[in-house]
Amino acid sequence: MRFSTKHQRGGKNLVMNMTSLIDVTFLLLVYFMVSTVMARPEDRLTPTIQTQNQSAGGSDADFQAQSVDVLLRDGVQVYQLGQQTMRTEQELRQRLSGLPLDLGVFIRAGDGVSVGFTMAAIQAARDAGFRQVTYVPLEK
Amino acid sequence: MRFSNRGQGDRTLILELTSMVDIVFLLVIFFMVTSDFARDARAEVSLPRLDGEQMEGMEEAGMYINLNENGEIVLSTSEPPVTLEELDAKLRSYISGEGAPQVTLRADRNAPISMFNQIVKVLESSGVSSVRMATEVPG
Repeated sequence: MRFSTKHQRGGKNLVMNMTSLIDVTFLLLVYFMVSTVMARPEDRLTPTIQTQNQSAGGSDADFQAQSVDVLLRDGVQVYQLGQQTMRTEQELRQRLSGLPLDLGVFIRAGDGVSVGFTMAAIQAARDAGFRQVTYVPLEK
Repeated sequence: MRFSNRGQGDRTLILELTSMVDIVFLLVIFFMVTSDFARDARAEVSLPRLDGEQMEGMEEAGMYINLNENGEIVLSTSEPPVTLEELDAKLRSYISGEGAPQVTLRADRNAPISMFNQIVKVLESSGVSSVRMATEVPG
């Protein structure tokens, strides 16, 4: 972009006054600099949701084997998969990787655990390859 | 702001502004493009640091439900927290519109799961079958 501030034709000077343009542009710049908030990048997990009553309706042995309970045990947050107890997302992901993927997995969280720890279980299920992940709030 | 471009006597002082104007225009365009004007619905919460599903492209924003560390439900940063009953009413009026309901739950990583579960139950009873749970991309 090039604005000629001075153009000579013969003996006459053509002066283009850019003062107002630059003033407005600076005002716009300051406005956007002040009003912009640099947000942290966000993503999302998209599990289906179900209440415990619904999930119990169609339950069977296979279904139970494919559910992860997020619990507070002796003051420590743990993941319970069948008889196995895990403390970290990595351990859970490893265990889930060995399960059949087409059955889907249920994540059930009870009182006392944190949202972050629970959502890590959903992430582990996704990372293990499960397309169908269902979140079920555990009743007290 | 006024830059004098005339000198004294016969001499003419030309101030070359082209580069500066170019840069300023680029900055204006950058801030216009990156500005997010829909931040009112996103409260300040510490989202769980997880990779998420690595979504690509734009999605419909839908309705945002924020759950802060204290277990308060915030629908808009310019409004006070709402109760579960108020959330239920707002959800039903939102869902009565056209199209599949898109709901994003932005829960603080340290929020109590009991309130999180209550919100999920309200969502489920309102006819929402799938909820987007927001995560903060690590790194």
